[in-house]
Formats: sequence, C-alpha cells, structure tokens
Amino acid sequence: MNNDLSVGIVIFPGSNCDNDTIAAIFALGAKPVVLDYRLRSLPVLDRVILPGGFSYGDYLRSGALAAAAPIMDAVEKAAANGLPVLGICNGFQILCERGLLPGALLPNPSGKFICQWQTVRVANESPLFTGLHQGRILRLPIAHHEGSYRTAQGQLADLFDRGQVFLQYSDPEGQSHGLTNPNGSVANIAGVQNRNVVGLMPHPERAMATYLGSRDGADLLASWLGMGENAVC
Amino acid sequence: MLTHQDVGLSASEDQEIVQLLGRRPNELELGLFGALWSEHCSYKSSKNLLAQLPHQGQFVVQGPGGNAGVVQLSADWDIAFKIESHNHPSFVEPLQGAATGVGGILRDIVAMGARPIAIADILKFGVNEQAPALLHGVVEGIGAYGNAIGIPNVTGSLGFSAVYDANPLVNVLAVGMRRHGLQVGADGARPGSVLILIGQGTGRDGIHGASLLASRDFGAETEEMRPTVQVGDPFMGKLLMEATLAVVGKGFADAVQDLGAAGLTSSTAELAYASSVGLIVDVSKVICREQNMSPYEIMLSETQERMLLSVPKQNLASVLEVLAWYELPYAEIGRVVAGDFLRIEAGDQVLAELPTSVLVGSCPRLPVMHDVRIWDAGQPSVLEKIGLQSRWGYQVLGHPDCRNRSSVYQRYDSMIGTRTVWGPEHDVAVMHIGNGKPGLCIAVAAPARWAAYDSYAGGIGAVVAALSLVAAQGAVPLGLTDGINAGNPAKFEPYRKMADLIRGIGKAAEIFEVPVTGGNVSLHNETEGQAIWPTAAIGVVARHPNPEHPIADAPPDAGVRILALNPPANPDLGGSVLAEILGRSDRYPVLDLRAIQHSLRFLVEIIPQAETVGLLGCRAVGIGGLFFAVAKSLMTKTPMALGANLVLAGDADARFVFNEMAGQWVLFVDPEFQSFWDHVSETHGVSVVDIGWVTGSPEVVITAGRSLTWPLIDLWRAYRKGGVRDVR
Repeated sequence: MNNDLSVGIVIFPGSNCDNDTIAAIFALGAKPVVLDYRLRSLPVLDRVILPGGFSYGDYLRSGALAAAAPIMDAVEKAAANGLPVLGICNGFQILCERGLLPGALLPNPSGKFICQWQTVRVANESPLFTGLHQGRILRLPIAHHEGSYRTAQGQLADLFDRGQVFLQYSDPEGQSHGLTNPNGSVANIAGVQNRNVVGLMPHPERAMATYLGSRDGADLLASWLGMGENAVC
Repeated sequence: MLTHQDVGLSASEDQEIVQLLGRRPNELELGLFGALWSEHCSYKSSKNLLAQLPHQGQFVVQGPGGNAGVVQLSADWDIAFKIESHNHPSFVEPLQGAATGVGGILRDIVAMGARPIAIADILKFGVNEQAPALLHGVVEGIGAYGNAIGIPNVTGSLGFSAVYDANPLVNVLAVGMRRHGLQVGADGARPGSVLILIGQGTGRDGIHGASLLASRDFGAETEEMRPTVQVGDPFMGKLLMEATLAVVGKGFADAVQDLGAAGLTSSTAELAYASSVGLIVDVSKVICREQNMSPYEIMLSETQERMLLSVPKQNLASVLEVLAWYELPYAEIGRVVAGDFLRIEAGDQVLAELPTSVLVGSCPRLPVMHDVRIWDAGQPSVLEKIGLQSRWGYQVLGHPDCRNRSSVYQRYDSMIGTRTVWGPEHDVAVMHIGNGKPGLCIAVAAPARWAAYDSYAGGIGAVVAALSLVAAQGAVPLGLTDGINAGNPAKFEPYRKMADLIRGIGKAAEIFEVPVTGGNVSLHNETEGQAIWPTAAIGVVARHPNPEHPIADAPPDAGVRILALNPPANPDLGGSVLAEILGRSDRYPVLDLRAIQHSLRFLVEIIPQAETVGLLGCRAVGIGGLFFAVAKSLMTKTPMALGANLVLAGDADARFVFNEMAGQWVLFVDPEFQSFWDHVSETHGVSVVDIGWVTGSPEVVITAGRSLTWPLIDLWRAYRKGGVRDVR
C-alpha cells in the first residue's frame, strides 16, 4: 500500500473508462487525481494514466483530437522529464497520435468492434513494471474498434531490438500466432513502451477481481505502481 | 393549407379536436395534435389494454407513466428500467435507426435521474436475402452508440422468422441505478421555473417520425421515409448524460424530460401535463443547426441528444455552470407558469396556445374489445408419440433461434463499468452493484413463435420464460417491462392478437405477483397486409442474492446428477423450434402456472443455500427445450470434456427433450445429497425427476428405449455454424 502515490487520470470529453480506472487505482491503495483536459499544467504527480473511451467521439480518427487537447502539452513535457505515463485503449491511441509512442492503431480488419477476454504475454521485462516477469500470461479484456497495431516499414525490428514490445496477444500457454491475434496487430502486439511511456489495448482496470473474470489487471497495475505483484487489493 | 391527413389524423379525430377546442386549430396547432395524438405518442389503441396489467408491487417506486419504471433494489439503490422499440427506423436505416433507439432509451433512464449501467437488445429479423445486411447494420448501430457512450450490453435475445422479413424488430432494454429516495421525473415543474433546452442543436431530422413513420404500416413509399430517421451522436449523448446526471444529482432541476418522439412538442406538453402547470415556449430561442427553420419544424424535429430541464430561478446559475463545464449547448427557451396550457411564441408573437388537458389528456382511446380469445386454425397439438431422431439434435442447435450468438455480442462492450459478473455468454446477466450484496440480475425473453398461433398463451410463456431465467440464479424479481410489437391495430386480427398478448402478460404477471412498471408498444409492424407475429419482449430486473458467486449454469465434474425441475406431465411440442423444423404449426401449450409458481419460489429459497443441499448448477429450459439446455451447459465448458447420459422413462420421446414449455429447469446436483432431492417433492411441493448424470466423455447420450449418441463436438459445430438446414 502506498497512499502517498498520486496518479493523475486525464478525462477528455467522451472518455468512458475514467471511473473504472479511478476505482482500480483507488482499490490498489494509490490516490487517483482527476485531470481535466483543459489543464495547461500538471499538479505534482507520480504517474499519469490516459484512460479508455471514445474521446471526442472517435471523430476524425480515434485519439486524433484528444492528442491535440490542451493538457497534452503538459503530459508530453512531463513525460520528457521522466513521469511514467500509461495509455489504455483510447489512451494508447492518443499516445500514438501524439507521437509519444511508435506506430499507429488501425481499424480492426473485420471492420467490427470486438469485446472479449484475451490472454496476453509479457514480451519484455520492463523497469516500469516491477515484478512482472517476461513470459507472464495475463488474462485481460479487450474492447475496441481500432486496435490493429501497425508500424512503419522497417520499424518493427527496431521495436523488438530495443525491447519496446511489452505485451503480445497469445494463447493461454503463451504462444503468439495468427489464431491468437484478435485484430490483425503486427506481431500480435498488444502493448508497447517508449522509455517511461507505455500503451496497451487490453483493459487492466476491468480485471480487478476474480468475480469479474480475472484479477490479472490488478497485478499489472500494481506492478506499474511499483507495488510488486502481491499488492493488497 | 395543412390538413388532418398531412399530420396523420383521421377525420373523426379532427372533428373531436374542433369540438374540444371550440375552434379550428391553426396549422402549427394541428401539427402538435398530429404528433401527440399519433399512435406512437398516445398509445391510443393499446392504453386501455395496458391498463389491465398489474402495476403495483412491494418494490415499486415508480410505475408506468414516467420516462421509465423504478423499483427498489436495496436500502441504498433503486433501479430504473424500460424497454423501447425502434423498429420502423431500423428497417429504413438500420445503423442510425438502431443507434438512436439506444440513445433514446438511455435518455429515458437519465431523465429519471438514474445512471445507466446496462443495456440489452431484443432483435427479430427475417430470413430473406436482406436479413443479414439488416442484422449487421442494426448490431453495428447498437454497438456504435452503446460502446461509445460506455454502457455495457449485458444480455439479449435474437430470433428469426419470415414474418419479420419486411418488419424487423429492434427493442432495447436499458437499466439504470439511482440512490434510493432521489425523486426525479417530469412531474415536478413549478411556476416560476425556467425551461432550458440542452444538447444538440435542433435540425430538420426526424420530422414526422412519430406520426408518419412509426404510426403507419410500411408500403411501397417506405423508401422515401429515410429522411424521417434521426442521426445519433453518442459523443453528444455522453456529455448530455453526464451533465443531466450532475444537474439532477445535486437537485438543481425540479423536472426533467428527454426529447424523443415528436421532440419539443411531446416533451413540453407532457412535462406541462404531468406537472399540472402551464408552459410558455419561445421557439425563436431554440438553437437550430439549420437556417430558417419554421416554428412547425422546430416543434416537430426529432433531433437526438436533447433534454428539457425545468430549473427554479435560484438554481439557474449553478445549472449553467454545470453545462459550461461539459461545454454543452443550451438555451433558455421558456418558462413555467400557473395554468394548464402550452403556449408557443416567437418573440412577442403568440403562435399557438392549447390546453394540455386536450392536447395530452383527451386523445380518444380505442375501447377494449371484450371477447374470448382467438387463435389461428393451426393444427391440433402433437399428441402422438414421436421417437427421437439424432438429426433433430443438430437441427435444433443449428436453428437460427438457438445458434451461438458470440458473433453478435462480441461487437458490444459488455464489460465497461466493471459491474458485469455474467455477461452475454450466459442466459442471464448478473451485475455487481456497489458493495457486493445484493446484486442485480437482468434477463430478457421474446419467444415470438410461442405467440404465433395463440398470443395469449405466448404472452404467458414470455413472462414465464423471463422469470425462469432469473429464478435460475435464485434472484427475486422486482419488476417487469414489456415491449409489445404488433401489426395494424385498426384491423381486427392484429388488434385481437395484440389484446390477447397483453392479457397473457397480465395474467402471468398477476399470478406471479411481479408488476409491470412500464414498457412500450410498437404497432403497424405490417407491410402490404402482412403483420408480424404479435411479439412480446419481456425484460425483468431481479435482486441477486450473491453476485460475486453466481450459481453455475454448467456441471462442475463427471458423476454429478442431472435433475429436471418441474418437467411437464404432458410434454407438448407446440410453438417449439422442433415443431417448426417438422413443419408443424401447433399452438403453444397451456402452462401449469401454479406448479411453476411453486418452482419459482423453491429456487429463490434454495439457491442462496445451494451448498447445503448439494445444488451445483441450474439452467432454465427455454427455446430449444431440455436438450438444448443440457447441451449448452456442456458446450460452454472449456475445454469441452464433460458429457451427459440421460436415461428417460420408457415412454419418453422427442416431446420430452424438445418441448419448450417454460417454467422447467435442469439442475446439477451432488450425488451425496441424493436423499434430499429424492424427497424434495414431499418437502417442498415441487416436481423433480432424476434424468441422468454427467459423464467424463464429451457426448450426449439419451436412452429412452433405444440409445442415441451426439458427440459434443458435432453439436458444437451445429451450434456455431448452423445445422442441417435442408429440412427447414
């Protein structure tokens, strides 16, 4: 438990996973701090989350308008100064649109929204996620219309070389292949990192209790909060 | 010069208006009457029928008449819930028609001051070439709105028949929660308050949607009706929802009314009538998103994502602060005064003034025709013995009404909000509310085929089906909502079928003592003289005893006993999927409601203490019969490693495993508790029959005289991809 850890959660118009994310952070014993998208500077914080949803109705492109919202200048600056930033689903799309993460998230090749439970494998150990070992399998929900992760030509090898691939869609045994790829993401990529900035399509804030289907999301968020894998929830 | 036909009124209604007013209405006034006296807004053909439904119950906070019914879940929470239809628009423009249907019912819930926490969709489609495209568009529309606004779609019902070829049904149930004791509605407006219209700018979309699209049969000109369908904007809907909930949560508004069918006309008139006040509305103040809109167009526009607030003057500044925070467009469009009229002005010019007692309160209602119920000639029930055939198992599971629904529900976000314990992969939804107990159980049922030849029996069956689903979780039903869908009420047969359907619903609701707290009637689901089956979409909300640990709907291990609770003494295939496969059109059977009532009570009593009697799982039998219930229980296990060995009495046959007589259940029971279940008939007055056991071999084996075997993988294939279709 670390009641002093304050986690900013940015709410854009149309964000809709904000309450779930706030509840998850609170349940893990950290202090959620609501950040309005109109802010031009950030208060003193230990972490920032861009939650999921349909910011600005996904109009133009998912995340494209939110990436230009006033608060994003402050987020970008704070990220450059080392503040850990986590984007979940629409938050991931916003970080890609802003250029804080490599790649882009395209519409699912099926043309359809997809909501289901999904297993993902931790592809690379990350200093941002203490205690989350490489090869760990997490069961998390996905829910998106634009989750097909793509990179520019020649970029993919670099991502792997630099250990920037964080999560990959896999089967329950950890094998990543075409049949375990729900959305046509290149190399089954479900999450990427760029130094202290991380984005992922699955929703850890929805996997906080066994009765909801999994509590692996609690493990993932606890590790990002530096509370290790065994945080009391 | 606008005539009564132009606004969808009959000559006699026109005369009635002149008589009640003592003068001819002007064109704008005639337009207002056309909207409010339409079938869609006035329920003129069904209101007297609906009055027969039981509305009172120990958990009822708000019965019919408001934007949604409200029941009490716990000491802290009330549940607002209602079904709405968007059938006609969804045929004309599937994506936007369905999307705005979701938006509309969500605004009804919000207008009750409740935060929406779940939606469920009840869909019926045809079987022609156009049907898959319609299904795709409707599902996309429901998802586009629900996913974006962030309300999980937790359960649903999907059915198919040629009768829906030109009249698909799109009914949506929305459920919301609000603090117990919060009073919000359209009936609290007080003189002196200010009317504020918030949300989307008013445009020319949806004009005459209520009166000319939803209140008429379809014909050759339907294609031209597309401009009467509104366009949804879930982003604006989200802002509107949050702002409205913030305003009502703080008690800043004395009345709230959403703008749905007939837009500003119905919202102002109904708010005035419900609150017994006068309203003065200045249409020149309404924010329009198109140039030069006439007062007529402004009053009748069905632009989505708008809400009308009545705000006492002292709260005005606080309300405007909330609206500014959400960057929501708003305008002060009028004021509340003492009186009983609706006055429309443009600047200092009075354009219309009508007493709301006439405009809302005096629409002539069709009297109830009291007669014995009718049914189609149909064939007599299948009484003769029918030996089981293995292909029927595949055909039933592969029938469009039984088939796996994941391709639909995976397009809906079912988990957002983190309350969904059981979502659409189960037969019922289980939701976690606040701090654990109690939770909420939500089920829908729309067994339309049961009402095809005898809508009274079908109406009863629909209620029993919905109640059976929540009973399988041991949940206590708090209230029902009914979506009635039928043909042209001006014609004898469609009217009588609708009347019988409603009577059936009322009968069952009365016997089981579960009130109907609101609903929706959609008529004129008819094209070129062909009406749909009278179709009841029943939604039920129930108090779940233990939402963190729902009782399973599948057996845990091999060796578990399989029991049938309340199997019918005389199983009858009437109305079943198998009967359709066999080309029969038998009436749905008469159910033993007393026996069902005993079983419902038994489950509610026993499931919270299931462990003490070795009850390991329970599933209601519905469409597809007991065979489908057992097979589904086995197929939902991953991996599919279990099977069932059913040993039936020598004279049991296809009727026993494929009948769809609602109010029976499959139970999975620990054999160590066999003695309790052997005597449960004496101790609890319910009928329980031991029908077999769970095996470690993934196949269904039924022995009744001879033995038949269905490998589970083959059943799964039929369930996933459709069965042998050549016999249909």
